[in-house]
Amino acid sequence: MIFLLLIYAFVLIINVPGLIKRKEWRELAVFSVFYVIAFALGLMYVLDIPIPSPMKGLQHLIVDIFGLEYPK
Amino acid sequence: MSIEKGKISNQQLLFLVAGFVLGSVLLVDFTVGITEHQTWMVILAGLAITAPVILSYVVLAKKFPGMNLVQINDMVYGRFLGKVISIYYIFFFSMTLSFNIRDVGELYITFLMQDTPFIFFLIVFTATCAYAVSKGIEVLARVSHLFVVSGLFVIVSAFTLLIDQMDFSNFLPFFELPFIRIFQGIHIVSVIPYGETVVFLMIMGCLNKTDHAVKKTFSGLLIGAVSLLIVAVRNTAVLGRTQTIWTSTSFQSIRLINIGTVLTRMDFLIGIAQTILIFFKCSLFFYALVVALSQLFGLKSYLPLVLPLAGIEVIIAATVFQSPVDHAMITLNAGIIYSAPLIFVFPPLSLLIAKIRGLPKLERGKGI
Repeated sequence: MIFLLLIYAFVLIINVPGLIKRKEWRELAVFSVFYVIAFALGLMYVLDIPIPSPMKGLQHLIVDIFGLEYPK
Repeated sequence: MSIEKGKISNQQLLFLVAGFVLGSVLLVDFTVGITEHQTWMVILAGLAITAPVILSYVVLAKKFPGMNLVQINDMVYGRFLGKVISIYYIFFFSMTLSFNIRDVGELYITFLMQDTPFIFFLIVFTATCAYAVSKGIEVLARVSHLFVVSGLFVIVSAFTLLIDQMDFSNFLPFFELPFIRIFQGIHIVSVIPYGETVVFLMIMGCLNKTDHAVKKTFSGLLIGAVSLLIVAVRNTAVLGRTQTIWTSTSFQSIRLINIGTVLTRMDFLIGIAQTILIFFKCSLFFYALVVALSQLFGLKSYLPLVLPLAGIEVIIAATVFQSPVDHAMITLNAGIIYSAPLIFVFPPLSLLIAKIRGLPKLERGKGI
């Protein structure tokens, strides 16, 4: 948990001051969105909260709904 | 506006393509379970089927010089539909990158360092890829020939050291398997090692000259395809019918090297080569992912997205599949089906629409 927080703090320190200094607000906004997603996923992983797999949903869509599957 | 300012030469493109296809050597194992001793046929058939599609990628890149896939989609399909297709591509890049990162973790956890936590491999490997991507495509292109040469050296030397253990009757009988299994094998091979070269539509915009792009791309593709063929032939000739029961046929065949009890247990060699080659492939996918997202959001640089996306990819790679079996099952069905339109339909269709609409000259005439 501490290791995870250290990594995320490091990412903030590397990116944010430069973006603010150069007044790149759009870059800062997009960075913030992805940073929050990464932080939330990291926290869920560390706290053992189940993370839905996009491929499971895709498998359900392709195999169960569209019926596209190679015979076993 | 282009995100990447760096330029690469045609010669570097050759090594980028060769290194990228070589990065899929480990994934030959996906096909072996289905096509058994006829894997070599499937690799050749996959190359023949994918060649015209890859030609369409290069022609499309030459038609829109200096532009990447997201820009091409916007121009060909319009702003709304173009962005929808670009998001589909971004999902493909993201998922494929996470699968490849997971492949490295599974390789180490199964064969090399069983007691190390799985997440540790994913974090270290992804951080290295993020570092490479932050240096830009020029740096990756400059070191590509080193990766290709080292990968080829391992593949050729392993083949040579195993010659005394090869039994070429293992390839018989030809055409034994039912057509549907051969078809699925060709589908896997044409999507995974060859079709994934669609990622080069994000890179070919950086070419300084597009004169010999077709020749160099196909030379690189041929180097990669021959390497895949050597690996498939080696595994079948050495392991025969037993190759379908091993988790990794390449590792199993390399373990059989025994030259005077001095040169034995050389599986670490294939571990090093695989790590280098998958690192190269992942770096190219990561680069394509961050550039595509930056282009989509209209950013000046892709650098602010590198580290947050690395964090997201690590967690996706760690949680997307429950086990290597789950990984293989989903990839061999849903994985190759959802990516087929991105590889076989959209690029040739974009080229056709561009021809019909007279793009990009028409757009330039309008002053857009």
